Amino acid sequence: MQNEHSITMTSKTDTETGRTEAGSTRTTSNTGAETNTDETGTPDTETDTNTDTNTNARADGGTPANSTDDPWTDAGGSPSALLGRPVVVGVVVLTVAVLVVPIVMTFVSSFARTATGALPSGFVTLSHWRHVLGLGDYGVRANAVPGLTFSIAIATGGMVLNVLVGVPIAYALSRYDFYARDWVNTLAILPLVPGVVLGIAFLRTYPERGGSALGLIVGYCLLKSPYMVLTVQSSFQSMDLERLEESARSLGASWPRTFLTVIVPHAKQGILAGCVITWTLAAAEFNFTYMVHTGDPEPFSMFLFRNISNAPYLQSAAAISIYFCIVVAAILFLQLIGNRGFTTARN
Amino acid sequence: MGDTLQRTLTIAHTVAFPTTERERERRRIAVMCLPFLVLAVFAGFVPLATMARMSLSAERLSNEGWSLEAWKTLTTDSTYWWIGFNTLWFAAAATLVSVAVGVAIAHALEKYSLPFENAIVAVVSFPIALPGIVVAFMVIVLLGRQGLITQAIAVFSGESAVSLATATTIGGLFLGYVYSLIPRATMVLRGTYAEVNTDAEEAARSLGASPLETFVRVTLPEIRPGIVAACILTYRSALAIFGTVLILQGGLVVVTLRIDRELSIGFNSQMAGAIGLVYVAFLIAFTFVGLRFVRTDAVEI
Amino acid sequence: MSDVTLESITKAYGDDTAVDDLDLTIRDGEILGIVGPSGCGKTTTLRTIAGFETPTAGRVLFDGRDVTHVPPERRNVGLVFQSYALFDTMTVRENVAFGLEMRDVPADERRRRADELLELLDIAEFADRRPRTLSGGQQQRVGLARALAIEPHVLLLDEPMTGLDAKLKTRLRTEIGALLADLEVTALYVTHDQEEAMAMCDRIAVLNDGHLEQLGTPADVYRRPDNAFVANFVGTSNVLEGTITDGRLDLGFTELDGSFDASGDVRVAVRPENVAIGGPLEATVRQATYLGERTELVAALPDGTTVTLRANGDASYTRGDSIPVAIDADRIRVVE
Repeated sequence: MQNEHSITMTSKTDTETGRTEAGSTRTTSNTGAETNTDETGTPDTETDTNTDTNTNARADGGTPANSTDDPWTDAGGSPSALLGRPVVVGVVVLTVAVLVVPIVMTFVSSFARTATGALPSGFVTLSHWRHVLGLGDYGVRANAVPGLTFSIAIATGGMVLNVLVGVPIAYALSRYDFYARDWVNTLAILPLVPGVVLGIAFLRTYPERGGSALGLIVGYCLLKSPYMVLTVQSSFQSMDLERLEESARSLGASWPRTFLTVIVPHAKQGILAGCVITWTLAAAEFNFTYMVHTGDPEPFSMFLFRNISNAPYLQSAAAISIYFCIVVAAILFLQLIGNRGFTTARN
Repeated sequence: MGDTLQRTLTIAHTVAFPTTERERERRRIAVMCLPFLVLAVFAGFVPLATMARMSLSAERLSNEGWSLEAWKTLTTDSTYWWIGFNTLWFAAAATLVSVAVGVAIAHALEKYSLPFENAIVAVVSFPIALPGIVVAFMVIVLLGRQGLITQAIAVFSGESAVSLATATTIGGLFLGYVYSLIPRATMVLRGTYAEVNTDAEEAARSLGASPLETFVRVTLPEIRPGIVAACILTYRSALAIFGTVLILQGGLVVVTLRIDRELSIGFNSQMAGAIGLVYVAFLIAFTFVGLRFVRTDAVEI
Repeated sequence: MSDVTLESITKAYGDDTAVDDLDLTIRDGEILGIVGPSGCGKTTTLRTIAGFETPTAGRVLFDGRDVTHVPPERRNVGLVFQSYALFDTMTVRENVAFGLEMRDVPADERRRRADELLELLDIAEFADRRPRTLSGGQQQRVGLARALAIEPHVLLLDEPMTGLDAKLKTRLRTEIGALLADLEVTALYVTHDQEEAMAMCDRIAVLNDGHLEQLGTPADVYRRPDNAFVANFVGTSNVLEGTITDGRLDLGFTELDGSFDASGDVRVAVRPENVAIGGPLEATVRQATYLGERTELVAALPDGTTVTLRANGDASYTRGDSIPVAIDADRIRVVE
C-alpha cells in the first residue's frame, strides 16, 4: 500500500517536471507543480520539488526516480506526444478545407455578378439561378427544370425498385446462412460493373430500351443497390433478427406477415437512409447516363455536364448549386434519422 | 452425376413443397434472394454476356458475324498496355494517399474530441454524393484559371494566373481522384476505428509507450483489416472514375476514358467491348482476391 | 389438458448430435426445468417444441397430437427469451396484443385482455411506452405478458432471467413462479442456473451432451443424484472413492456403517452440509472462504482427500487449523 502510494506520487511529479523541461504547456505544468508542492509540503523551484519527492519516496521505501536519468521522464516530451496531435489535426483541417472550400465557393459564386477578378464580386444577383432554373426570359430548353423533373422521377423509380430488391436480399444475407452466401453477399454489396461499362453493355443488349426511362431505372437500381443493401444490413445487424422473428411467429404471425409487420418496421431507419442515399446518387448519376441517354428529356446529370463543359463559370456554379441543395437536404434528412453523414455506416 | 441430379431435384422439390422448418427456411432464402438475382441477371449478367459477344462481332453496329480483330489489337497494340498501366498506377497512388489521409481523419474523429464532430463527418461524407463531373468542377474552382489557389499563388508570385492553372494537368486530375476517394476511405476506416479496443491503447501508454509507439504497436495492428478493406474499396472506386477524367483530361488516358473514345471516335464497339470486358474481369478478380484478406462486414460505402 | 411429449427426439446438425434420443413429458400445469451446461441441447429441445427445429428423428406431441411438422405460428406456444425480443416499433400494449391481433381478435377485446395482463404483471403504467425505455426486469415482464396473452398450450422460457442482476432475479423468480402456478400454465423453463431451476420448477430434467441424465423433483435430484454428473452439476458435491463390502463403505480414511446396496469399488457423493464439524475425523483446513452467514471450508482428511464443508459464519478459521469432522452416513449417495 505504502509502496503503491509513493510510486504514484513519484511518477506524477516526474511527468510534470518532464513537461516543464520540454518547455511546453506551461500553464498545465504550473497547476501540476502547485499540487505537488501541496502534497510534499515544500519549496518553489522545480528542482527542489523533485529532490524532495525523491527523498520522500526513499523514506517510504519506494523506488527513487531521478528525473535526469530516467528515460520515462521524457515521455511527456517525446516528439509524437508533442507533434502527433497537431500534425493529425492539421491534416484533418487541411483536408476538410480542400473538400469544403470549393463547395462553398461554388455556391457563393452563383450569386456573384462577375468572376473576372481574383475573387468573384458584385453580390448579390439571382440572374444565374434564374437562368438555370429557366425563370424570366430564358428559354425552357436550356434550363434544369425539365431534366431535373425527369431525373427525379427516374431516381424515385430506381429507389422504389431498390427497396423491393434490396431489402429482401439484405434480410436473407443478415438472417440466414446458406450455400454461396459469401458470393451473393459480395455481389450485392460491391457493384462489379462500373457505370461506363454497364452503359455500353446496356446499349447493345437493349437497343430499343437501354436509354429509356425503364432502362435508366433498372440501371440505376443495379448500380446503387449496394448502398441500399448495406444500410439495411447495418440496421438488421443492430437487432436480434432471429429472436424477433421467432417471437412474432410463436405468437401466431405467419412468416410473410412477420416480415412485413415486424421485421420491416424495425429496419425502417435503414430503409429510409438507403432510400435517401440511392435516390440522391441516382438523381445525378453521370457515367451510366452519359453512355445510354438518348436526348429527350435530357437527364439532370447531362444538364450539369453541358454546363460544366460549356457554360460560363458563374452559370455552371449555379447549375451545380442546385444539386448541392439536394445533397444538403439529403444529409440533413439522414442526420435526422440518425446517420451522421452521406454514408451507409451507422453510429 | 445421376446422384447430383437427383439431389438437385430433391432440393428443388423441397424448396417448392417444404415440410420441415429447415426446408421452409430454404424456400424463404430463395424467395428473398430472387428479386435481386433477377435484377442481377437481366441488368448485369445478360448485358455483360452481350458485351462479350459484341467484342467478337464482325459488325460495328450490331452483333453479327465473328471476328477476333479487337482482341488481336488489344493484345498486340502497346497503346492499350500503357493505358492499363496508367490506370493502375494512377489509381494506386490516389488510393494510398486517400487511405493515409482517411486514417488521419478517422483517428482524429475517434480519438480527439474535436469541435463540430458531426459537421466534420457530414462535410467529409459530402463528396460521396457528387458525380465525377462535379468533382472536376471542384478542382477547377481550386486550380483552374480563376481558381482560388491559382489566384493566390498569382498574387504572391506575380505570375499570370493562366500559366499557373493546373486543373487540367495530371496534378489537377490527382486532386480530383483524392477528392472523391478520401471520403470513401474515411467512412470505411471510421467503422474500423469504432471497434478499436481503447483499453489496450491506454495500457500501452501506461507502460510507457509514446503516442506514436502506441499507434504503431497497438492501434495499427488492430485497424489493419480496416485499412486493407479501405484500400480494396478505394482502389475499386478509383478504377471506375470517369466523369472527372472526361472533364479534366489531365493528359492521362485511363481505361474508362479510352472506352468512351473508342465509341465517340468511329464507334469502334468491338474494341470498347473488349476493353470493357478485360476491365470488368480485372475488377471481379481483384475484388474476390482482395476480399479473401478481409471480412466483408468491414465494407461500408 | 395441455401436455407436451417428446418421443425419442434426435436432432443432428451434420455429424453433430445436439439431442440424442430424448424422451420427455411436460405434464399439464407443471413447470419443468431443463438444466445443463451450455451446449447440452437444452435450447435445441426448447426450439424443437416451439417448431423452429424439425427433429431429425422422433415426434413432438401436444396432447397426443403429432405436431412435428406443424410450423411454429400454428402451434400456439408462448416464448420468452433472455434478450426479451420485444417489438420496439410498437408500444408495450401493442406488444402484448400482437398475438391476439394475429388471431383476429377484435381491437377492443385485444386491448382489454392486454390491459388485464399488464395489470397482472404490475406494468400497467408503462402500457403506452416503448419497450426500449423500460428497465430489463420490466421488459422481461412485458415479454412474459406477451407470451401469456395468447393462452399458450405451453410456455417456453429460454434463460429468461440470465440478463438480470442477482437481487432482481431472486424477486422476479418468486413472483413469476407464483404467477405461473396460479395460472396453471404448462411451462418449460430452460436455464443453466440450477438454483433458479430448483426455485421455480416442479420437476427438473438434467441434460448433458444431448442425453437426459436425471428427471425428478428438485429435492429428488438434489438429494438422490443418479450419477456423478448430476451430483456435481446440481449444487456442490464431494465425490469420494471407496469400496463397499457387505453394506459397509470403506473410504480409506474411515469406514461407515449403513445399508449400502452396491458392492465393490464405488464413487459416492456427499453434500457439503452433510459433512459436520465435530466428530471422529481429524481434518486440516486448506482454505477458508468467509461468506457472511457461513464460512466455506476446504479441508484435507488424514489420507489427503479434500472435502468441502460449511461452517457457521461466527467461528473463524485460518489455513492450517485442525478441525474435527464427521460424515453423515445416511446422506451418502452412491453415484457410480
